[in-house]
Amino acid sequence: MSIKNSNFFSKQPFLVAKGVSKTFSTIKALDKVDFNIYSGQIHGLLGENGSGKSTLVKILYGIYTPDEGEIYINNKRVYITSPSVAIKNGIVLVSQTPILIDKFTIVENMLMSLKQYSLLTKSKTIYSFLTDFFNKIGLKIDPNTEVYKLSYTEKQFVEIFRAILLNAKILLLDEVTTFLPSSEKKKLYSLFKELVKTGRSIVLITHKISDALEICDYLTILRRGRVVLNTPCSGISIDYIRKNMFGETDYINSKIHVEPVSNKLVLKTENIWVRGGSGEYRVKGVSIYLRKGEVLGIAGVTGNGQIELLEAIYGLKKIEKGRVFIENTDVTNKDTGFIRKIGIGFIPDDPIKYGLSIENNIVENYALMETNSFLINWSLFEKNAREYIDKYNITTPDVYYPVKLLSGGNLMKVLISRELEYSSKILIACNLTRGLDEYTKYLVKKLIYEKTKNGLSVIFTSDDLDDVLEFSSRILVMNSGIVVGEFSANNVNRDEVEKLMVM
Amino acid sequence: MIDILSIILNTCPLFIAYQIASIGHSVVEKSGVLNLAIDGLFVLAISVSFMQAVYSGNDILSSILLSIVVTLLIGLFIVFISTKLPVSQGAIGLSIMFICYGLAGILGVPARSHQGSTGLKIGFNIQQNIVYSTIALVLTILLTILIHVIIEKTKLGIAIRACGENPLHAEALGVNVLRIRLIAGAIGYGLIGLSAGLFELLYSRLWREGHGMGHGWIVLAISLSSGRNPLLCLATTFLFSTLYEYRFSLLVFGIPREFIETLPYIVAILSMIIYKTTPLGEKLKPPQYLGKPYFKEERTI
Amino acid sequence: MISINIAIVKRKKPLPKWLIPLLSLISGILTSLLILYVVSHGSINPLDVLIAIGNSITQPNLLLKNYAMLLVIGCGLLISFKAAIWNIGGEGQFYFAVIGAAWFALYSGLAEIPIINKFLMIALGLTTALIWILIAALIRGYIGLDEVPVTLLMNYIAYNIVDYLVNNHWREQVYRYTRTPTIPVETWFTNIPFTNATLELLLITLVTILLTWIILNYTYIGLFIRTMGSNPNVLKTIGVDVSKTIIYVLIISGLLIGLAGVSYLAGDTHLISSPVIAHTPYYGYTGILVAWLSLLELKYLFVTTYIVSALINAGINIQIVGVGGASIVNLMIGSILLTYTILFVFHEYSVKIIIKK
Repeated sequence: MSIKNSNFFSKQPFLVAKGVSKTFSTIKALDKVDFNIYSGQIHGLLGENGSGKSTLVKILYGIYTPDEGEIYINNKRVYITSPSVAIKNGIVLVSQTPILIDKFTIVENMLMSLKQYSLLTKSKTIYSFLTDFFNKIGLKIDPNTEVYKLSYTEKQFVEIFRAILLNAKILLLDEVTTFLPSSEKKKLYSLFKELVKTGRSIVLITHKISDALEICDYLTILRRGRVVLNTPCSGISIDYIRKNMFGETDYINSKIHVEPVSNKLVLKTENIWVRGGSGEYRVKGVSIYLRKGEVLGIAGVTGNGQIELLEAIYGLKKIEKGRVFIENTDVTNKDTGFIRKIGIGFIPDDPIKYGLSIENNIVENYALMETNSFLINWSLFEKNAREYIDKYNITTPDVYYPVKLLSGGNLMKVLISRELEYSSKILIACNLTRGLDEYTKYLVKKLIYEKTKNGLSVIFTSDDLDDVLEFSSRILVMNSGIVVGEFSANNVNRDEVEKLMVM
Repeated sequence: MIDILSIILNTCPLFIAYQIASIGHSVVEKSGVLNLAIDGLFVLAISVSFMQAVYSGNDILSSILLSIVVTLLIGLFIVFISTKLPVSQGAIGLSIMFICYGLAGILGVPARSHQGSTGLKIGFNIQQNIVYSTIALVLTILLTILIHVIIEKTKLGIAIRACGENPLHAEALGVNVLRIRLIAGAIGYGLIGLSAGLFELLYSRLWREGHGMGHGWIVLAISLSSGRNPLLCLATTFLFSTLYEYRFSLLVFGIPREFIETLPYIVAILSMIIYKTTPLGEKLKPPQYLGKPYFKEERTI
Repeated sequence: MISINIAIVKRKKPLPKWLIPLLSLISGILTSLLILYVVSHGSINPLDVLIAIGNSITQPNLLLKNYAMLLVIGCGLLISFKAAIWNIGGEGQFYFAVIGAAWFALYSGLAEIPIINKFLMIALGLTTALIWILIAALIRGYIGLDEVPVTLLMNYIAYNIVDYLVNNHWREQVYRYTRTPTIPVETWFTNIPFTNATLELLLITLVTILLTWIILNYTYIGLFIRTMGSNPNVLKTIGVDVSKTIIYVLIISGLLIGLAGVSYLAGDTHLISSPVIAHTPYYGYTGILVAWLSLLELKYLFVTTYIVSALINAGINIQIVGVGGASIVNLMIGSILLTYTILFVFHEYSVKIIIKK
């Protein structure tokens, strides 16, 4: 914990956000949120998946515009309509996914942002100045290095330095410390302390409570779009924070436990490593197994490698190291067609872009279940469609209704029904319960269990921890790319899981 | 006996036309704007400079200027529409190509008959003149180096390339994508217009309906297979311009005339295939966002 | 300081789809008329042009040939475009089919066998068209080169190959004109009285429409085509081999266009004239307009083909001192396509102009 200004309310906040709300189609991401940022403070912003913390900082950075609410800087009202306006007001966002362009060097990336240089400035003009700056900070990188050669940590550092060069008065840091090893984290923390000494503010979004308590002066906790707690960091326990993040849920152990049909292993991964989109490893040596008839749920805060793991198993992402076996067949890096033919179904993380053909109708999407013949047996798929619409409680006027007109939840139901009905050996599902209402969740669970009795195995993730706990016969917890805990359904302790998710 | 000097002299006007056009095309595409209209623009600009030359009594300067202006106007329109609206850039390019083909014929034919009645000879022959050819070559090479330096080493060039690689990140990094693409378009399309004027007035110096068709695609192939790098284009341009200029010398080998006419196109396709399938293509990848709509949705004001 | 900002916002309810082609046609034609009027220094009266178009539209018997040909080619291109594969090489595939059919008719020795000869001629034409499209298909499917420049360049190559054959080995020997001899009468398609179309062409058109309908609606490749156009990622997730699919799509497209090519030789010109670039009916390009304007829907294809055939007939009949019909047609195709491409945006989005102080 850090000891900073003991009286937080003695001075005026630098930035005041009042009553900020934002709705995305049917989801209310933020609900009348008040948020104050004081100069010289490190302000932690905590919350579990879907709490709205990313949305809030994106609004402050001009990426989204709020549906209602006002933002004041130094008591003057501001309209942050784009990142460049935000930057002009001294607000810079550094997010988990770097915005640096990989092909270009650090110098080139920086030059684009610095308004004080004219268009015909040569890149070497700022080279020496950057080298000096890096040396002062203790960063041993040549500014003429292409960004793709940098490690993820180094990229984060570069983006933070960019924010400094842009004279940021408020640095919004969205999960920048999530994938850092602790030695690097320490480096970053001392940098933060230096920065706020000069009157700057830092808003640090993290899901790791211990990190927040270590470095922040003040905490705001969001849950489901609302502020549930504002508190200085001194004297606060981790448990107290956690309870506020996750809320008091009536977790009922619903007692439909699924015992695996046999101890036969249907899926096995051996120490696999998978990279994310920005070059860093998102899966760092994960070895798991899945038994026949088992439902394996992976709990974790979004972005800790769960999706990359599942995509890699299905052949959509390259496995850099390690191997994957499906029933003793080595399927490491085999193409998706091969894996699917074995009887593996897949529900992607982005159902609209990767799962359903949005311009087609429901029956046509079901027809995609069977791609090896020449002619389409429409009557079969129409029959299936009627059956599934009933079975999965899909609301649609017609089986030939265009998918793009369905509500988000029904869309998901079509996808889930297609993949669940197709899978004969394993169903791999990213974010299985996204957009589903309570009744549908119950239905899906029941249908999954029926199939598992006949030998189907399921491995899935969900942003909703309750769902993971309710659906699974065994639970893994992933944090920062590794498996940090394993529980079976009858001895899972929710507190423990949460702790592992946010440690 | 092959006289290198006379090869260079004879090829010179075509060389500079191809080179300047491919630099221009490269700049436009480096900013992320797909330029499928190039053949149409080239044909139209040729026709326009011919027309102006005929009506102005062979005023080379105004003819080339008009060619530049026309190409610029259409080009900036392409850039604006492609960046501001979520359109299919390929469709825009092709439709403008057709319009340009049509306009070229409609404008050129009356000019041609006017030329027929006045007997005016247009253009300026530099092919046998060492001094003018050397000046032209040197200027072209200097221009190539200048554009290369701007694109690779200045803030403008970085911004242009960023718009082509990832305009969303570029915007996040502070680049005004529309403004930068318009600047790139001004440079690029201006150069294309210039090259067409030079092609018509220094090289072909004649006109008939459909004149110039196909050369734009050669320029596209040059640019693509050189990785849109102005310096590399010099080599590829040299290959294509000498091939085209001296293609009929292959008649002595008994190759039929029609096959000779196909050679530039076959070589164009082959050079693009070689680019794509060799390490060259790995080192000099096309701009990632080329032709992709830049349009972002979330703007509910 | 006044700032003007143009915001493009998604509509809550999209505009009716058919409005777009209709508006594009109208604005495209008007734009062409305006340009023609200005450029011809007023000698082309827009009213005359509209009358010419009107005349064309109301004389279906003279439109039948173009209509049928464009329907066939339109189907071929529709299949390709629907999968977001831009087959601009229609001219090359058309003429390669002509090569195969011509060889059969002139030099195979089997051209005089009744009934069978026409089937064999079509088969040969399709074979040569297949060879040609296969080159482009492999380049696009396996090498991944953009099909637009490749297919376009291949058009020029195809023209020259045909020219070579016509000028040399196949040149008619009586007057040594740059054309082939006329193909034997036995291979000619049967003309339908009072029209400029042939029976076989109509049959081919019917077969093409049927095949297209079946492929698009009853086969997996059709489903993939319809999916690839909007969501190629979905196919990858399902495990479909996208490269192979692209190749199959291009082959189907090229073969259908080949059918039109054979009909052109056997039912229309009965010989090949060189240089091809001066004699081509240009269907490979007008077909693009026809397919696009139909919003890539088979049911609209019937309407757009009719209108475009009328436009072409009218366009060719407009005489501007020496300007070939091709330039006018190009102008019209381009104007309509351009307005269509831009207007299509407004089907889903609306433009808001925000003026702030």
